[in-house]
Amino acid sequence: MKCFIDKVITHKDVTTDIKVLIPDAGLRRRMSSLIKNAVSTAVECLGGVDKIADLDAIITATGWGFLTDSERFLRNMIVNKEELLNPTPFIQSTFNTVGGQISLLKNNHCYNMTYVHRSHSFEDALLDAMMRIADSESKNVLVGAFDEATPSQQRIMERMGLFRHHNNGEGTVFAHLKSEKSENTIAELIKIEFLSESLTQKECLLKYVYSESSVLLWNKYKNYGLFPTATAFTFTDAVNLVKEGVKEVVVYNEYFGAKPTVIIVQNLL
Amino acid sequence: MKIVVTGLGLVSALGIGIEENIALIREEKTGIKTLPKILKTSNKLPVGELCVSNEDLHSVANINSKKHFSRTALLGILAVREAILDANLDMTKRVGLVSSTSVGGMDLSEHFFEKFIENDTSGRLRDVRMHDCAASTEAIARYCNINGYTTTISTACSSAANAIIQGAKLLKHNIVDAVIVGGSDALSAFTLNGFNSLMILDEKLCRPFDAGRSGLNLGEGAGYLVLQREKDVDTYYCQLAGWANRNDAHHQTTSSTDGDGAYLAMKEALNKAKLSPAQVNYINAHGTGTGNNDAAESAAFIRLFGKKLPPFSSTKAFTGHTLAAAGGIEAVFSVLAIKNGYLYPNLGFTTPIEDYGLKPITKFKDGVEVDCVLSNSFGFGGNCSSIVFIR
Repeated sequence: MKCFIDKVITHKDVTTDIKVLIPDAGLRRRMSSLIKNAVSTAVECLGGVDKIADLDAIITATGWGFLTDSERFLRNMIVNKEELLNPTPFIQSTFNTVGGQISLLKNNHCYNMTYVHRSHSFEDALLDAMMRIADSESKNVLVGAFDEATPSQQRIMERMGLFRHHNNGEGTVFAHLKSEKSENTIAELIKIEFLSESLTQKECLLKYVYSESSVLLWNKYKNYGLFPTATAFTFTDAVNLVKEGVKEVVVYNEYFGAKPTVIIVQNLL
Repeated sequence: MKIVVTGLGLVSALGIGIEENIALIREEKTGIKTLPKILKTSNKLPVGELCVSNEDLHSVANINSKKHFSRTALLGILAVREAILDANLDMTKRVGLVSSTSVGGMDLSEHFFEKFIENDTSGRLRDVRMHDCAASTEAIARYCNINGYTTTISTACSSAANAIIQGAKLLKHNIVDAVIVGGSDALSAFTLNGFNSLMILDEKLCRPFDAGRSGLNLGEGAGYLVLQREKDVDTYYCQLAGWANRNDAHHQTTSSTDGDGAYLAMKEALNKAKLSPAQVNYINAHGTGTGNNDAAESAAFIRLFGKKLPPFSSTKAFTGHTLAAAGGIEAVFSVLAIKNGYLYPNLGFTTPIEDYGLKPITKFKDGVEVDCVLSNSFGFGGNCSSIVFIR
């Protein structure tokens, strides 16, 4: 199993005006800020809203989902004693909202999936994309990951002692994957593996890094803060290293009590 | 490669385990109660609630109540254990778990939040520890000795059908030797109020596909299947022959008038199974009881099957709509339809919807020749998934 990576961007790489990225004013107005952020990153990654029509799989990943909307609905429910509630935050708290909104922008009826498994939600989405490409079910896949930090989430995790050695974090990453190499292809995703045991940095080097031209990014999610889809940012780093000329990058991620994962990205032969 | 079903596990408002569930279905008795007993809410609405407290669920599952598991995790552990025992699964192999949920640990988080919004140093942290969706999945894996690839899917009400689809792919790609697939969702005030704010809950017992239907009843439960490769096993219930996941791409919470997503999902699932619509013997419909879903699903049925619609029913009038568990619970019913020739009645139905004239099954039947079953699961976000089981 392998596939080609045409583009990977984070929310920080979005430069196009949101009105161009999400032209439907009605849809745009109803989106919460995380949904807007994720959908605009997705459209920027594809290079325009019309490109959504060409996708044959939209796969998203989020560890926590829409915390702001969940909290807003929960707060209203408690304060208003379960009466006269606005349904919008409830609707937008559904984990698959971003995937649904992307398909809605261009009425795309294709495969639509959402993974919500802590620190490897993004890797689950990559695995799904690779399996669909290997099965010839998909040729043109959008994979995205997003999580948001909120004051309540910050406070709760602080009380749990989780920020003693880490900072909080948030963000959005989208990747455009293809079955065939194109003129836009920048790297190749050659492996995604879920391990049953943890590996130290040394063990990881021995097992996965065979040559001096390979680089290991071991638990670098920390650079982005402690949030479930920080692994997607390390994937972005790996692809960017390959773009800069590194032959192969091995990414190892493990935190939040989920299984460790290994992603291997290579340059084009 | 043939993927087969080798084990089943089920918890719903009808009871714990397949036997309790089928016993009530035979008697055509619903599991939906007129008022919530366990769930703390001021809403006076019918719910498909399992009338066993969280504390008692811990003891039924033989888990120390100090563990303070979410209800979603407890329901899931009970159903997954039944499925593993039923399949007589060798847990030393690479056994995976693909579980789905839409509420996760919300039944506990909402208690935490009541205190937390008054003072951010209050609220017991143990009530929010299982908030994320993966927490229930990880608890199920740990308490059922599952060591292989484990993940969680959340695509609203189509979630468990998508977990089944993903499990089949994991077997095909040799990532697991066996995989437990399905979903678990507990009732929570969050979801009850959410659906109530959308004004799609029926104040009476739900009546899927009836002209006078006026909404759904929420339910809770868990339904799981064990999937394996046919070449690795001696006996099995049936084959998982086809599946499809398509998007309706119409609206965030309502279905298109012509049921585009439903039609595409059913058509592609049958194509994948290399079957024609005429070969389907029973359809376990999504059939929530809302005006919109049942009309869209009826339109999609007529588009695909024409005048030759096979016997169909929604079992949600027995269990309530169990959200991310629904596709798992209904897959268990679908597999038992093939194994034992069951056809399930669509409780509450009296009058067909005028525009479509479709009449679901109204009496429980046993020993019918059922070789092919189609099961539908549709959800918010336009997610539409269909799966096909064959003898």
